[in-house]
Amino acid sequence: MTSAVLTRLNTAWALFQGLLLEALPFLLIGVLIASLARWFSPGGAWLRRLPDHPVAGPLTGAALGFALPACECGNVPVARRLLVGGAPVGTALGFLFAAPVLNPIVIASTWAAFPDQPWLLLARPAGAVLVALGLALLLRLLPEATLLRTDLLEERRLNQPLASVSLLERRTGVIGLPEDAPPNLPSQLPSSWQEVLRHGSREFLNLALLLVAGCAVAALVQATLPRQWLLAVGGAPTLSIVALMALSLVLSVCSSVDAFLALGFAAQVTPGALLAFLLLGPVIDIKLVGLLSLLFRGKGLLLTAAGSGVLVLLIGQWVNLWRL
Amino acid sequence: MAALIRGVALGLWAVVLLQSSVDGRLDLLLRAAFHPLVSSAGGVLLMLAVVQVLVGVRQWGQGADPASRQERRLSMATALIAALLIALPANPSFADLASQRPADDTGNDTLSFVLPPAQRSLTDWVRMLRSQPDPQLFEGDPVRISGFVLPMAEGPPQLARLLVRCCLADATPVGLPVRWPAGEPLPRADQWLAIEGRMAIQNKQLEVVPERNQPIPRPARPLEP
Repeated sequence: MTSAVLTRLNTAWALFQGLLLEALPFLLIGVLIASLARWFSPGGAWLRRLPDHPVAGPLTGAALGFALPACECGNVPVARRLLVGGAPVGTALGFLFAAPVLNPIVIASTWAAFPDQPWLLLARPAGAVLVALGLALLLRLLPEATLLRTDLLEERRLNQPLASVSLLERRTGVIGLPEDAPPNLPSQLPSSWQEVLRHGSREFLNLALLLVAGCAVAALVQATLPRQWLLAVGGAPTLSIVALMALSLVLSVCSSVDAFLALGFAAQVTPGALLAFLLLGPVIDIKLVGLLSLLFRGKGLLLTAAGSGVLVLLIGQWVNLWRL
Repeated sequence: MAALIRGVALGLWAVVLLQSSVDGRLDLLLRAAFHPLVSSAGGVLLMLAVVQVLVGVRQWGQGADPASRQERRLSMATALIAALLIALPANPSFADLASQRPADDTGNDTLSFVLPPAQRSLTDWVRMLRSQPDPQLFEGDPVRISGFVLPMAEGPPQLARLLVRCCLADATPVGLPVRWPAGEPLPRADQWLAIEGRMAIQNKQLEVVPERNQPIPRPARPLEP
């Protein structure tokens, strides 16, 4: 009995290391891109010019994914940088939720895994845009103060034009100076490479800690939950979608490789379930929850999880009606 | 001081990634395509760590230390986790992992060319049997394969390999039935074996009949793409 438990713990430890070592480079890429953005445009003036339209904003954010060939772990620090820099929330959310799919590497890997299913090559990016748009619209219902973490919001307020933020909302900084040159504000001063490196290093360690927590939970669940249970309902139209959604939450692999993983069980499940697996993982999974908590407060996180679940389920159902 | 701790923490993470690249840990956990990415990330982290340590040493001399206590704790916590990863290498039980996964069912995985029977790996055999399911075609063919012993819910254990597309998290087993020598105890789960023998048909199914059956250590690259 003890030996079986030790064996299982050994397996969980190895799974944890596998997940972590695969995700860490992508996280570092994201942090480096966010740090470069901070160096070249510390005040984020161009970010504030991004569209704030409820539909055009998320679509613009989604399109930014083509400039960042990373998975969802790498996207979190960049999305945080967008929000801190004062980008419209809808645009940042569009980027956060759609860019893990709308980037060249993920599209190429989907094509490489499913060359004989051209519908999937179109349906995956289209579905990701729909989910991102839906989530952005949904999360706009929450006030920024309820949606975003307090520390992120405070930094964001410093970068937003005074016309759009009341003085009472700015809890830090100096009031009454020209917007372009506020002195000694931590988010706008640091264009020195040392400060950028300090900030990037701190951010990497912060995110790595959250990633470790997510990978640990995902590894424990994987080591204890037989995957056959989730795949047992592969043929049932609705249950197969729900099961594959649960599998994507548990597996927590990056969007750049999940298509190859889906190939392993594509023949056992409905087309809608296959698409649901490929759509939900890049938005939320066990490993990502910790990272997303660096952006959202509890309500925002809950709404993201529930909203993405409902949207992906609906898309999966529709695909099953169309393809079965 | 804070920059120094941060530098040490980043340095330990760099060691985790670089050490994994050279001590074979990556071969056990990740598909080879990702190895250069991990090594490069280790190199970048090492450079960041050196810069942070240098900054930390200079700041120490000047008495400038802008970091909060929370930031120092964060750096120390991550450093501790990295140290644990360095100290405790992965040693998974492939049989235990495979028992939690359904067998690989990649229907369209076919061989682009066919090797002579004695040169086929276990995975080559499984793919070959998928693309040419008639067992009569292979009866009597020589077999030289290696894999780990995977206990089955029904029937005797199989010789198996793990297929990995990304990392151990997505590993799925493929196996071949083996007619284990009668009167001898069955091999224990997870034992790696090199088997030489022939293909035979039993109950309209192909199985390996071993002529030589030798325990081997786990190969340096145990995962198959």
